[in-house]
Amino acid sequence: MKYAVRHTTTYTYDKPVSDSLGVAHLRPRVLPWQTVEDYEVQVAPAPNDLREDLDHYGNHVTYFQLTEPHQRLVVEGRGTVEVLTPVHAEETLVTPWERLRPLVQTAAPLAWTATDVALPSPLVDQVPGAHDYATASLRPGRPVGEAVTDLMHRIHADFEYDDTATTVTSTIAHVLEARAGVCQDFAHLLLACLRGHGLAARYVSGYLSTDPPPGRERVVGADASHAWVEVWLGGDDWLALDPTNDQWAGDRYVTVAWGRDYGDVPPLKGVIFTEARKSTMQVAVDVAPWALQG
Amino acid sequence: MTVIRDYAAGLNQPTLGGDPHRYDEVVGRDGSLRAPWKGLAERAVRLTPGDLARADDDIVRALADDGVTYGRPGRRPGPWRLDPVPLILDAASWGQLEIGLAQRAELLNAVLADLYGERRLLAEGLVPPAVVMGHAGYARVVARPSFHEPHPLVLSATDLGRDAHGEWRVLADRTQAPSGLGYAMENRRVLSRVLPQLYRESGLHRMAPFFSALRSALQQAAAGDMPDPRVVVLSPGSHSETAYDQAFIASALGFPLVEGSDLVVCDGWVQMRVFGRLERVDVILRRVDSDWSDPLELRGDSRLGVAGLTEAVRRGRVRVVNGLGAGVLENPALLPYLPAVSEALLGEPLLLDSVPTWWCGDPESRERVLDDLEHLQVRRIDGPPTELAELGPDEIRARVLAAPHAYVGQELLPLSQAPVWRGATVPGREVRPQALTLRTFTLRYGSAYRPLVGGLVTLIEPANAVDRWSPQRSKDLWVLKEDPAQPDQGLPEVQPLTHARSSTGTVPRVLEDMFWFGRESERCEDMLRLVLVCHALADDYRTRPTSTGNQGLQVMLTAVARLAGRQDTDDLDAEFRSLLLDYDRVGSFAHSLDGLRDALAGVRDQLSPDIWRAFGVTERAAYALETNNHSHQVADSAGRMLTGVLSLQGVLANMIRDHGWHMVHLGHHLERALQLCHLMRATTTRRRGIDVDREVLTAVLNAAESAVTHQRRYRGYVRTGGVLELLLTDPDNPRSLQFNLAELATHLAALPASTGSSRPERLVTVLLEQLAETEVATLVAIGGESRPNLEAFLDQMLAQLTRLGEAVSELHLATGPAPQSLVGLPVVDSFDTDAATGEVRLP
Repeated sequence: MKYAVRHTTTYTYDKPVSDSLGVAHLRPRVLPWQTVEDYEVQVAPAPNDLREDLDHYGNHVTYFQLTEPHQRLVVEGRGTVEVLTPVHAEETLVTPWERLRPLVQTAAPLAWTATDVALPSPLVDQVPGAHDYATASLRPGRPVGEAVTDLMHRIHADFEYDDTATTVTSTIAHVLEARAGVCQDFAHLLLACLRGHGLAARYVSGYLSTDPPPGRERVVGADASHAWVEVWLGGDDWLALDPTNDQWAGDRYVTVAWGRDYGDVPPLKGVIFTEARKSTMQVAVDVAPWALQG
Repeated sequence: MTVIRDYAAGLNQPTLGGDPHRYDEVVGRDGSLRAPWKGLAERAVRLTPGDLARADDDIVRALADDGVTYGRPGRRPGPWRLDPVPLILDAASWGQLEIGLAQRAELLNAVLADLYGERRLLAEGLVPPAVVMGHAGYARVVARPSFHEPHPLVLSATDLGRDAHGEWRVLADRTQAPSGLGYAMENRRVLSRVLPQLYRESGLHRMAPFFSALRSALQQAAAGDMPDPRVVVLSPGSHSETAYDQAFIASALGFPLVEGSDLVVCDGWVQMRVFGRLERVDVILRRVDSDWSDPLELRGDSRLGVAGLTEAVRRGRVRVVNGLGAGVLENPALLPYLPAVSEALLGEPLLLDSVPTWWCGDPESRERVLDDLEHLQVRRIDGPPTELAELGPDEIRARVLAAPHAYVGQELLPLSQAPVWRGATVPGREVRPQALTLRTFTLRYGSAYRPLVGGLVTLIEPANAVDRWSPQRSKDLWVLKEDPAQPDQGLPEVQPLTHARSSTGTVPRVLEDMFWFGRESERCEDMLRLVLVCHALADDYRTRPTSTGNQGLQVMLTAVARLAGRQDTDDLDAEFRSLLLDYDRVGSFAHSLDGLRDALAGVRDQLSPDIWRAFGVTERAAYALETNNHSHQVADSAGRMLTGVLSLQGVLANMIRDHGWHMVHLGHHLERALQLCHLMRATTTRRRGIDVDREVLTAVLNAAESAVTHQRRYRGYVRTGGVLELLLTDPDNPRSLQFNLAELATHLAALPASTGSSRPERLVTVLLEQLAETEVATLVAIGGESRPNLEAFLDQMLAQLTRLGEAVSELHLATGPAPQSLVGLPVVDSFDTDAATGEVRLP
């Protein structure tokens, strides 16, 4: 599938900001199953400094600074992305999950890089509750594809989608306790479950293209940032699981960036110098099927 | 007997000696003195208890006079302590260690470059990846393909201890932001003054050339070929544990000591806020931990860093020393892998062994550790060594098993021991053996790593020491030359340091500290004078409650209460002691002195070290007061404290006439005017009968240090009008309101942000006009029991002076808004905006 992707973040402040520095993870990665065309990151007012780079995980990252006093900041990424559904070999999916623990099978190909996401990370701490929750799915000898898919099903069934249940700073323990959260929480929880048993799994930030409700028109900008998880299948093979929607990520999923957890890849973060006390923030995400363009 | 011979003899007696398994630094197994001590001829060996007692006293005094402190978490900084007996090593034994240290720094640099570059060590499994990736010091923001720094390690420190055979072993590597070089230099400075003969005749390596080399290495660290790079020392602030060390280094090297708020990043360049403009910074000697160095890309809650610093580093536009992320080497889990890493990266065997260490992420090592919990110290790979010291073996085992990769087990070395001065209380046992560790420093100079020939020795308190935060004692390390002709530090070619004064004089934060230097020193002085006056009255009259003198005393005590609050006590001596000693009592002398010390600590590199003598004097006076219950000690100590505080004027007189100097005076005159108005407001606005009034006025003149002038001018005839003239309108009395307002105008005019019509200048002009229009005769006028005009006048002056202080802060000390996180602002749905202009309407 091919999509026109647009992600706009707008901040306004009640007093001028004299200096604003930002780091954005917006430009989607180029992957064997994903191509990216004409992508641009734009900042308004025009920044006096803007630089694109690849971060530690190979994600595109944009650094910018604007020292022109302003009360409104707009950061927008837009471009075209074409996605295929990743395919996994059956023999990979039936590997017993215990054989995919990089801290144990240290000599396995690329186990050394996968180690980074097998360890606890700042937002995904190791809590016994997550380990215990996952044990029912990760039974000894079970094929990895089946085991982790079962875990995804259970999270989807046991946890309620509720954007009032958690905040951006909620911990794994809090999500376990509340039995509710948003996509970011479910992704973090699934990471904690998998890592608690020694599997390597990374946080993926991106978009999910959604269909309008039957009989309604597409509403531009009504989509949202999304988050899911990729679990290591050995070598350079990762299986993408979306616990929020209870499915493997396919050609409706645009991968922007991945890291240990949300903290490595927020779409936009920044530091501002201002006397302002309040701000408004609007995020508009639009993932439109290419065919509907023009 | 001499101290060293007593010590040697004592070692053979089990009750007096230390641990028999310990290597002794002075006495060999056979009871004879070790080589370096023999080499010191008879001089060191002949030191008597008397010599050492004197040296110890001199050291305490010298360190206090230099204001050398060491911070303790959650407590006031304590004095730095130095033992009078140096640790002495001869050229031969040092030489071996030196080679090992140089190799180690080279190896660590190669490891660092690899971990942030190619990561061959991890890919090939020479270091288990979890050792690095599981360590909090691994800074992924600088581990990017676009950025590579070949020599990220410029200055490292190594902590060493000896094993039972006397071999040095590495206990820990300090690469994040190594501290202690300043303390080491200060130790040397003090010891060379206190034991001058021994110092001269021992033929040891002087440290100075190492500092010159450090200065030059930092300048050369600048990117490109810059003729005169700007180097700064980035400090977390004067409340940091090692604030003294940081200021010492900055001042010894002649580089400005700055804090994060003094720097900004603009277009990827780091710049220093200098009055009204920005100046580029090329090299940062970093004493802030990596994690706290940039709120944009590292810890967002840090107030110590510079937003955008990481990006500036990645673009090669500033060089940070040591590089961001260097703290990943402060990882005990690396130790067991270093021998293999050395073979792989340097092609050499590792020369200096580390303390035996096992990483629990490795199954066999984990078993080894869990089987021997009694003898091993278990610690987290990125936590302090003693973090788990209080836990029982079961709890430790549980923690290790829950996250094995995060823990190591380490052998505890017996360490070596050396004689330490214990005071002349027990004849024949003045020195006792105590265990020690050694911190060494290694610098990348030119293309090679050079260890400092010297170091900082820390004495380890016995495990059962009462207070874990008791200031540690240190020792100086003397490394003897093989041949007196050998150049110091083996560095003949280094240029000596030119003492360039650093130029942070106009950074807003520095001006602010200077302002408070002026204000707090004046508060100190005024409170001391008030206490002295009250104590004198109390001495004369406390036994005669109905006397006019005692009534005068009661009035003066209301002035004290106005400035320092009222204490619920009838015991006047207790009150005086509280006013002098109680740090927690706002308005007390001790409280203001603390404020003064804080302000000075922030600008330590700007000021002559003489400034700290004032604190040496006041501390000794405070100690005398604490240990002597007699009432007369109050006056004695307060008098000595006053001498100390007044000595600051001498330092000021010798200060360069820059903006900072004007700022000190601005604070000083503003505070003097305020204090005077408070004093008069509390004492002179009511009538209490002629005799009592006379007592009060005399006391006020004394407290305002104008009694002598008054005596000369009015021949001892004390009346309200004369006193008001002298204290309010006299243009020649440096204590008068008129004089201080005029001085305020002068110093204000000298500041760069002053325009002639700025708000502070306007406020002073109004104050001066109001004072000029005021007739003393009107102020004296009586209305019933009080002087309503005087009361109103002083209230008005106080209000305006307070406003002036705020205006000065706003105009001259403003640093602009502090940085905050983009997502930190409370988010609202919408603002109340003006429909016509579209602008936000403010409440």
